[in-house]
Amino acid sequence: MIFPILVRLALRNLRRYLRRTVLTASAMMVGGAFLVWSMTIDRGSHEQWVDSGVRLGSGHVTVERPEYRLRRRIEDRLTADVSRAAERALASPEIAPHVVATSAKLDVNGLASSAAGARPAQIVGVDPVAEADFGALDDEVIEGRYLEPGDRLGAYVGVDLARSLELDIGSRFVVQAQDAQGEISGQLLRVVGIFRSRVPAIDQGTIHILRETAGEWLGSGGDVTNVAILLEGSSATAEVASRMERALSEPVARGEARVLGWREANPVLADAIAIDEFGNYVIQGFLFVIIAFGIVNTVLMSVLHRQREFGVLRAQGLTPGQTGTLVLIEGLTLSAVSGLVGVGLGLLGTWYFFGDGLDASVFMQGMDELTVSGAAIDPIIVPIFGVRLIVQIVVFILAIGALASVYPALRAARVDVTEAMKFDR
Amino acid sequence: MTTSDTPAARTEGVWKIFQQEAESVQAVRGVSLTIERGEFTALAGPSGSGKTTLLNLIGGLTRPTRGQVWVAGHEVSSMSSQQVARLRLREVGFVFQAYNLLPVLTALENAEFPMLLQGVDVAERHARVRELFQRTGMEGLEDRRPGKLSGGQQQRVAVLRAVASRPALVLADEPTANLDSATSEALLDVMAELNRDLGVTFVFATHDGRVMERCRRLVRMVDGAVGEDERRT
Ligand SMILES: Nc1ncnc2c1ncn2[C@@H]1O[C@H](COP(=O)(O)OP(=O)(O)O)[C@@H](O)[C@H]1O
Ligand SMILES: [Mg+2]
Repeated sequence: MIFPILVRLALRNLRRYLRRTVLTASAMMVGGAFLVWSMTIDRGSHEQWVDSGVRLGSGHVTVERPEYRLRRRIEDRLTADVSRAAERALASPEIAPHVVATSAKLDVNGLASSAAGARPAQIVGVDPVAEADFGALDDEVIEGRYLEPGDRLGAYVGVDLARSLELDIGSRFVVQAQDAQGEISGQLLRVVGIFRSRVPAIDQGTIHILRETAGEWLGSGGDVTNVAILLEGSSATAEVASRMERALSEPVARGEARVLGWREANPVLADAIAIDEFGNYVIQGFLFVIIAFGIVNTVLMSVLHRQREFGVLRAQGLTPGQTGTLVLIEGLTLSAVSGLVGVGLGLLGTWYFFGDGLDASVFMQGMDELTVSGAAIDPIIVPIFGVRLIVQIVVFILAIGALASVYPALRAARVDVTEAMKFDR
Repeated sequence: MTTSDTPAARTEGVWKIFQQEAESVQAVRGVSLTIERGEFTALAGPSGSGKTTLLNLIGGLTRPTRGQVWVAGHEVSSMSSQQVARLRLREVGFVFQAYNLLPVLTALENAEFPMLLQGVDVAERHARVRELFQRTGMEGLEDRRPGKLSGGQQQRVAVLRAVASRPALVLADEPTANLDSATSEALLDVMAELNRDLGVTFVFATHDGRVMERCRRLVRMVDGAVGEDERRT
């Protein structure tokens, strides 16, 4: 077996050019560490985008009628047996463990009016306890409080809407919308709380009321327009969505329901993430190219310096393939060792310095608010370490190392022995 | 075929023509030569007469343009480059003018390298190399890297490396060209002794009078062809 001999030679050669090896290795380590840092932070920030986005209403997975999304009309609500089937599915052992919170809402478009005027509004009938777990709006109260069970006429109103209708805590106003019979129907409400989400569309138009109140007002009883499911992480979305779809296969087939993942329910958010990811890939791509260049440079330099040595090896009976393999081993060892060390350093460093979260607000000074497709984003980004992500990075670095060593290896394999051994070269 | 009654090497009407843009150089022109086992032969001739090219043809480092080359009974020109490499590993030792040790290996590791590639076990390798080091006054230098050896010592290690794997022949291209007179003589002593005591076949390419003097066969090359072929006793 010649391979162990080649490995031994390769290691000695790396040690022989220690300075060059160490320089290249440190560049690769920095690169690898930076990759880990940036990719785990990116993952963390995207997860946060998703989280903020899905908490605004539709969850990671949503069940609703196919036509509902277009106009949010009461007639496009789920039938009682569909919501019951959805509830049963949510309680099943395959789905329940993934679920953090659910919110079944009666959510319609309408008009809010007071003595000061009238504004279009999105009136959301909620179960206040479930909604408090599900969404973030209840924490964004600036006056009064969030809804409580029994707040029959209570309304929780966005700050800009309250201003334009000149509403304060205790103010009365009226909402109007089409009811289950197709008639325009009104409901008197009283402000119990005012919130500021910092998302303009929500602050200007959202009103939470009790779901029972909404059902009575619109004549829809206990029906809901959509069931939103919040998962422990976005990675379970596809699985839960497909299980829900199976559980609801009949109403889905009848066109009475459909199951949406967050990407379909929030296409703008999905696009924003895709664009951001693309940007990150470009940056990481540049980094990879730089790393690859470093390896090519180091390995190729050492190959060009050692023409005579390859001549000697060939004269001793090494084949061109074995000579090339020697160079491949050198390049691969260099990239594997420095890549692994770099990834390790990146993991440790990211975990140690940013494990509790990276405060991205320093990057956003002067910007009032970070919103992504209508969702306000927490500036504290917690990195997410995934085994798959780490494996991907390691594999990528190894692939780069291998690719970058191919050309130098070919050069070494193609050494013209007689040319290399000429004394007066 | 590899029995020791086949010649160490043989060429039959071998030509090497280098094509260079407009002109072509006929470096070796129809050489037919047989190297018997146990010979101590010099290819002599002025610079550019084709000595190195002929040596490279015999060692399978260069393929002939025309004609045939046998090494230990094996015809080289029809072999793949892997087969030639394997043949070289078994049957040919090389000594070059200078710098032909691997700098990352010690003297002993350099000398045992071909045996390592051949798969000779460690005890046998070390026994053979130590015996050769002893025989040639190189004891105590086994663990030095080439950078810590003099030019003469490096050439000795190169000779021992070429010899230790027991090839059919050792091809040495101007082995003394980089050495002073006393060192050259000492190296020649070593090679002559190895030839006499162990029967190692040596073929030199040289224009060094000291080498020619000590050879038992002198093949003179003129413009790529064999002129005189003189045997002495
Ligand atoms: N690779 C090559 N390409 C072109 N010409 C070469 C090459 N190698 C040798 N030659 C030419 O072949 C002739 C013989 O060279 P060489 O065998 O090195 O002679 P010597 O070893 O006797 O000095 C010279 O004219 C030399 O220039
Ligand atoms: Mg020459």
